[in-house]
This record gives sequence, C-alpha cells and structure tokens, in this order.
Amino acid sequence: MWWYVVKRLLQTIPVFLGATLIIFFLLKLRPGDPILNLAGNKPVSQEVRDALAAQYHLDDPLLLQWVHFVKNAVTLDFGNTFAGQPVFELIQQTFPVTVVLALMALAFDAILGIGLGTIAGLRRNGWFDSSMLVVSLILLSIPIFVVGFVMQLVFGVKLGWTTPTVGGDWNVGKLILPAIVLAIANFAYTLRLCRTSVAENLTADHVRTARAKGLPEGQVVVKHVLRNSLVPVITYIGINLGSLMAGAIITETIFNIPGVGNAAYQAIIRGETSTVVAIVTFMVMVYVFMSLIVDLLYAVLDPRIRYA
Amino acid sequence: MPEPREGQERFVAPIDETPLRAIDAVDVDAVPENQWKEAWKRLRVSPLFWLAAAIITFIGVMIFFPTLFTSADPTRGSLDDSFAPARDGHPFGFTRQGYDLWARTVYGARASVAVGVLTAIFTALLGMITGAIAGYYGGIVDTLISRISDIFFSIPLLLACIVVISVINNTWPNRGFWGSVLVVVVALALFAWPQITRQMRGAVLEVKNLEFVDAATAIGATKMTNLRRHIVPNSLAPVIVATTITLGIFIVAESSLSFLGLGLPQNVVSWGNDLSDAQNQVRSGQHLQVMYLPAIALGMTVLGFILLGEAVREALDPKARKK
Repeated sequence: MWWYVVKRLLQTIPVFLGATLIIFFLLKLRPGDPILNLAGNKPVSQEVRDALAAQYHLDDPLLLQWVHFVKNAVTLDFGNTFAGQPVFELIQQTFPVTVVLALMALAFDAILGIGLGTIAGLRRNGWFDSSMLVVSLILLSIPIFVVGFVMQLVFGVKLGWTTPTVGGDWNVGKLILPAIVLAIANFAYTLRLCRTSVAENLTADHVRTARAKGLPEGQVVVKHVLRNSLVPVITYIGINLGSLMAGAIITETIFNIPGVGNAAYQAIIRGETSTVVAIVTFMVMVYVFMSLIVDLLYAVLDPRIRYA
Repeated sequence: MPEPREGQERFVAPIDETPLRAIDAVDVDAVPENQWKEAWKRLRVSPLFWLAAAIITFIGVMIFFPTLFTSADPTRGSLDDSFAPARDGHPFGFTRQGYDLWARTVYGARASVAVGVLTAIFTALLGMITGAIAGYYGGIVDTLISRISDIFFSIPLLLACIVVISVINNTWPNRGFWGSVLVVVVALALFAWPQITRQMRGAVLEVKNLEFVDAATAIGATKMTNLRRHIVPNSLAPVIVATTITLGIFIVAESSLSFLGLGLPQNVVSWGNDLSDAQNQVRSGQHLQVMYLPAIALGMTVLGFILLGEAVREALDPKARKK
C-alpha cells in the first residue's frame, strides 16, 4: 500500500509541474508590456514598475520565472487583482460556496445516478431503461447553461419554489436548484456507467450462486450485485468533484452565486487575464489534488489496484 | 495411433459417410470481407444509424444551402422589429436586436458545426499519431508521450480553454470568422487529444502482437509498413467511435465558451452566441423562443452525432451488442 502511495505521489508531481508550465507559457505569450498587463493597462510610475518587476521577478530568465510561478502557486500567492485585492483573499472569500455547491451536486449525482442507474440495469432493455437512455442522451445534447436557464425559469420564476438567483447571502436551501443543475452534467454519465456495471454483475457466477441457495432477490441485489457494481461508479463520481468545481463557473454565473467560478467569470468579463489565470491555476491545483485523493481511496477500497 | 487392444474395436460405431450439403460448402478462394464492409452491412440495417444520418444530412443541407430554408439575412436587423411576432416570410419572429430568428438559427449552424468538425478532426489526427507511436514503439517514447498526455489531461477542458482564449484575445483581438473558429478549435483540440491518444495506444497495444502482424514481419514488412498497412487500420474502430461522439461534445463546449463570452465573437452568427444573448430573456420569462429555437437546433445536431457514434460502435463491435 505504501509503495502505491509513494508511486502515485511521484506521478502527481510532474503532472502538477507540467500543468503550471503550460499555464505559465500561455501567460508569457501575451503581447505587450507585462507590467502594464499586471496593472490593468494603466500608466504606472517608475517606482511601481520597479516594485512589480521585483515582485514577479520579471527581469529573470524565463525558466527562473517559471520556478517563481510554481513557488508562488504552491505557497498560494497568486498576486493581486486590478483592484489591488490579493487573488488568494478573493479565493478564500468565494471558495467555501463553491465547495458546498460542488458537494451538494456530488450528492445529487450519486443519489440519482446510482438509484436510477441500478433500476435501469436490473431491468435492462425494459421501458424504464429505454426512457432513461433517452433522458441521458437529451441531457448530453443540450448545453448545461440552457438546462440551467430553463430550470431557473420554471422553478425560480414561474413556480416560485425557490429564489431565481442566490446573491450575496447564500444558504444551503438556495443552493439546491443550482446544485441539481450542476449535477446534471455528470448525471448522464453516472447513470449509464452504473447501469452497465449492474447489468454486467447480474450475470456473474456469484450472483447465480446466491440465487441458487435461495436468497431473496432484494438481498441478492443489495449484497451481491450492488456492492460489486459500485466501485467504478464511486470512483467516477469522486474524480468528478474536481471537474464539478470547474463546471461551477457556468452554474454560478447563471444563478449569481458568489463562488470562485463567478469570480473567474467576472474577471473574464473585465478582461483581467492575470486574475483569470490565477483562479484557474488554483482550480487546476484543487483538481489534481482531488484526483490524487480519489485514487488513494480507490486503492484502499479495491486491493487489486494497489497490487497491480 | 496405438493399435486397439483386444475386444476394444467392438465399441467403435461404424462411420456413415454423409456428403456435405450445398449449404455447408465453403468457398476457400473467396477472401473474407474486410471489417469496414462488414460494419457497413450491419450499419445499414440499424434504425439508429438512419435516424442519425437523417439528422446530420438535414443539418448539412442547412449549412451548405441556407437559402433553401430562409430568404432573410441573419445579419440585417431593425430595432423596429425587436421581438416582433412571426409574420409572412419570418416564421418564428424576431430577436431583441430585430434579427430574423429563423434565419439566425439556420445560418448559425455553420459556425457551430465548423467548430465541432474541425476540432474533432484535429483531435483525432493528433491523438491517432501520438497514440500509434506510443503504442507501437513502446519504451521511452511511450513513457514520454503518456506522461505529456497525462499533463494535458489533468487540466479540465473548460478551464484550459478559458485560459487559452483569454490569452489569445489579448494577442489577436479582431480575427474574423475563420480566425475565430480556428482559435476555439485550437484551444479545444490542444486539451482534448489525450483522450484519443489513450484509446489509440490501447488499441495498438492489443493489435500489434496478433499473428497477422507477425506474418507480415516474416515476409519482410518493415516497421513503417506494418504500422501503416496493418496496425493502424485495425486499431481505428474505437477512435472513430470516440471522435464521432466527442464531435457533439465539442459543439456543446463551444456554446458554453460563447456563454462565458470566450467563444466566437459577437459578430459571428452562431448558436452559442444566440443562446448567450437569449439569457436576458430568461429572467423576464418573455419571448423565450429566442432561446428555444437555437437550443433545439443545437441539441438535435449534437444528438445526431452522439447517435451516429453509438450506431457505429454497435456496427464495429457486434460482440458488445449481443451481450
């Protein structure tokens, strides 16, 4: 097990370094004076210019600049927004909402995906399975923001079950609708994965044995089919926590949720490229970290992985 | 064969020579049909395929001959017509800017599908080449390609595109229709290829140790010939399926980027831009057709490509269907 942990950790380092390298070079591709870019294209005095150059090591060779970029990212120093607020402070203010939203979406994804996927898998090619197939295909074909707008309109504006937008004082109740919208993006995949997994396990030898010894069907399904089917499904859902945070950019914008995705969107709209890049770098770090955690958890759950 | 022991011959039943019936005859001279012909045979009886083909053909006609569907100009509008109801020649009424909604939807197909198709082609080419090299040569080349693809895979597609396009917007602000399409295509393809690489690599690893490759080597085929003539054509099936399905996903991704203001520029007629413009209508709940019409067009197109991918998957891999 420890060997697996070490191996997986060692794999994460080049991935992280490579990702920062890509983002760093994209940033360097920008034309014009990097100091003006940092200051939001306002004219700056010589002192400010020198201070910024020193702060971002702009006079160093490129590779050294990248080293500083990585060091800053690891120490969570992402520079300032054009308004002068440290980006990390912005992230600290906005990240909790995004985490709550992503976790709620994860819960909806897991409950609906596994629940409906199991039913579809048990009655494969039945009417329920077919209608779920149609539903998941439709959900895959429509952009998530359209789904979001329609749900906002139906449940928020027309039916009035919830507030159409969340706004500054958020609470868990207001986040339910956005979390469902965010979950829908992954729901279709979770559903199909769970369905296939259950349908495959239904024909396994140990399930036939369980039936042959006279176990009630409910117990066969819960104890013998589900327990084995869920390992890949749970891994898939876990890996998605990171991508849910990325998907939050769109959901948070639609519902005006004061999360980190919305902060990124505002920065895009204002053309603050350095802030956008800082926030994205942070999200990529969270994503890489989450994949690491999920892989390690998976190894705990499934011994075949750690001995492979 | 050892001689039967004494008495043993009694238990052997007499053999009746029955001649082969005509139906059992095997034509040994006929070459077995190649897998693409076999696949096509299965494909053309699949209703799923014909549904997908009908949708895609319809969209294709819309792209190449938009004047068959509408005589209005999608870029010419009058604010007098803002949200004007349908009237003769304008079957779905007008958008907020006074453009003809139906004309916008018909002409919008061009940009959206162009992004999807071009991205899918680039991604497939990049993924197939890297995947084939990694799988076939193995060793250090494989490690290098696999690790680099891991890095690109570790950045979520939407986030990566946000960074790339934000940066390019600073570098190259006014870039016309094809320039804008190209930027979105490059941004998407740059971070989407590792998926295809992984699939291609896996398929090549499976194929490269099969007997017919050994046979080709034995009669003197070089590594390059082997790769080109035998390994790549036999590893293409999963890549073709994945490419068709991701084509639809790229169209959705382009519209999401447009929604964030990072897709095609505002002056390009595209479904993504029209949907993004329609968001103001949602909160008021009025004139919702400006959202529904492009959304339905986009959804149908994406559905067409996903269904095509599924149909091709079934045709290329009949084992999976029977299970």
